[in-house]
Amino acid sequence: MNFGNILWVLAQGVGQTVLVTLACMLTGLCAGLSVVVLRRLQIRGTAWLLEAYTYVFRAVPVLVLLFIIFFGLPAIGIKVSPLVSMMLSLGLIAGAYLGEVFRGAMESLDPQELVAAEAMGLARGQILVSIELPQMLRLAVPGMLNEFTTVLKYSPFAYTVGIPEITRQATALASTTLRGVEIYLAAGLLYFGIYQLLRAGVRAVEKRFEIPGFGTN
Amino acid sequence: MLELTGFSRELVAYGPQLLEGLWKTLILAGSVSLSGLVGGILVFGLTLSHQPMVRRVTDAWVSFFIGMPLLVLLFLVYYGFPQWGIRLSPFEVAFWGFTLNVSAYNARYLTTAYRSLDAAELEAADAQGFGHWQIFLWIILPQVLRLSVPALTNQVILNLKDSSIAFLIQYTEFFAQVQELAAQNFRFFQAYVMAGLVYLGLVSVIVLAARRLEARVILPGLER
Amino acid sequence: MALLEVKGLVKRFGDRTVLKDIDFSLEEGETKVIMGPSGCGKSTLLRCLNRLIDPDEGQILFRGEDVTRVGTDVRLLRQRIGFVFQQFALYRHLTALENVTLALRKLKGLSGREADEKALLELRRMDMETHRAKYPAQLSGGQKQRIAIARALAMDPAVLFFDEPTSALDPEMSREVVALINRLRFEGVTMLCVTHDVFLARYVTAQVIFMDAGEIRAEDAPERLLSGHHDARIREFFGNSGGSDA
Repeated sequence: MNFGNILWVLAQGVGQTVLVTLACMLTGLCAGLSVVVLRRLQIRGTAWLLEAYTYVFRAVPVLVLLFIIFFGLPAIGIKVSPLVSMMLSLGLIAGAYLGEVFRGAMESLDPQELVAAEAMGLARGQILVSIELPQMLRLAVPGMLNEFTTVLKYSPFAYTVGIPEITRQATALASTTLRGVEIYLAAGLLYFGIYQLLRAGVRAVEKRFEIPGFGTN
Repeated sequence: MLELTGFSRELVAYGPQLLEGLWKTLILAGSVSLSGLVGGILVFGLTLSHQPMVRRVTDAWVSFFIGMPLLVLLFLVYYGFPQWGIRLSPFEVAFWGFTLNVSAYNARYLTTAYRSLDAAELEAADAQGFGHWQIFLWIILPQVLRLSVPALTNQVILNLKDSSIAFLIQYTEFFAQVQELAAQNFRFFQAYVMAGLVYLGLVSVIVLAARRLEARVILPGLER
Repeated sequence: MALLEVKGLVKRFGDRTVLKDIDFSLEEGETKVIMGPSGCGKSTLLRCLNRLIDPDEGQILFRGEDVTRVGTDVRLLRQRIGFVFQQFALYRHLTALENVTLALRKLKGLSGREADEKALLELRRMDMETHRAKYPAQLSGGQKQRIAIARALAMDPAVLFFDEPTSALDPEMSREVVALINRLRFEGVTMLCVTHDVFLARYVTAQVIFMDAGEIRAEDAPERLLSGHHDARIREFFGNSGGSDA
């Protein structure tokens, strides 16, 4: 079995790795956006909840949260599928970090533009949708890409709940052959390839929505 | 309520093992935080080398260890190296794997901080006749380390949290002991939530310490 | 009936009173300039009038209707007052045209095409039509201010407020903007302009309200305020800043 064969076997898991990564990132984006929007609208009684979510989900290890959800919840009668378990652990943790990325981006908006929008007579929700979110999301691209990469790098945890992604294929192969170094190097190579693809994808989206002179200063 | 008292009794009975696991967690997280800091400074120093070859190799090195998922790196050493006759203990594998990974990240933070330094200041040091190493040691490093305190302490928190994956290579740290506890009485939910709370508590301690450290080392007018 | 009538307006920030019993009025088609040293409360006054800041006491009658009353539709009031800011405050993620159409679409409910047509009309009026596809970062200060004025005029406001419209511009561009404001004046646009630019006040030859320490000290034609006024504070203000600005 040469390196090419190994790569080919592990590549069977690429689809699942990408699926897990995208599903978790999407969960994280939804959670992070909800956090920043709720925080921005200053809805009474939500502030402490948002702070608690942000604090707790950044303090608990991904693996521990994943085990609470996948192995812990069934013990009290709630069964959660492997992919959903990943989304609720890795995804929500990414959401807590993304919420902070978005908060930072919101803080760097120009307060004068927001006053101008208010002076125009736009409603709070209109200002959020037309001014704040479009600008904030553009400013948050580096932070989002960073978090995207982190999610990809934690995606191997999916093997512990039986999702047949790259690392799962690697452990299976490594248990039947004694070629650990090549196998895990090949796995690393595949992750690196996916990372490059993700990055190119994000850059393409960024380019598509690029505005001259915005976000570069 | 009865359930809980039942669980807390088991917790007490299993206490010594849990504490031993906690100790191992702290040992791993603490030692890789130190080695990662030293390694990070070394790697950062190499990225400033005047030899293009050294710079290129260092950059590739950093990219490799940042791009490689930590778990895959640990598996590579733990399950792969024995084929070359190199058998390391779980702790040794975790220690070296984490150190390589963490120093790559720390080097990146230091590089980011370095880019925000005042170029004129470095030129001035050059003009005063300092050598490269002197400039690195007395001008660059003190500033870059201060600027990176938030990122570096954040990395310590990540180290503590990530140390939980060492149980996947049979290092019997805290989370491994929690697994044992859970497997004995089948109270998975309580056991894992308890583990989560312990990590929450430990992270909070680091957060508080980091805030005090930050307040101390920040130079007037130099905070970002 | 005056377009805007202010009676006994008071604003406090904590225990500091920044507006003390302000009275003045603005007729339809009239232009007035509010001047005074920085910190005199002139910008706060402007922001009270469109309720960006809530006054503590007094009345603001907008076409006879007290807009300080509880239940006033503040957003509707703001739609009838065009506001031009010192730092332009253009939306950086929108093109010049989109900056002008935003309120037309979101607030007046115009279709994309109707909004574009109206906006292009205003851009043409400001001589900025060729720059319609540019983003704020690609425009000079003077061009940005023209877009900001077009953005305000597009809503057909009852009155146009200017908050230091020239102070972020270099002298040449600031003269251009002053000429523009003067043109609007002859077109019959009602305007209220806060500034410390004496050139602006003199060129537009509008009635000047002089404020100091939260009070209106005088209201008169600019030339009478400029030449040896009996109030020492006014003499001092124009003596110091008048020479350099004009």
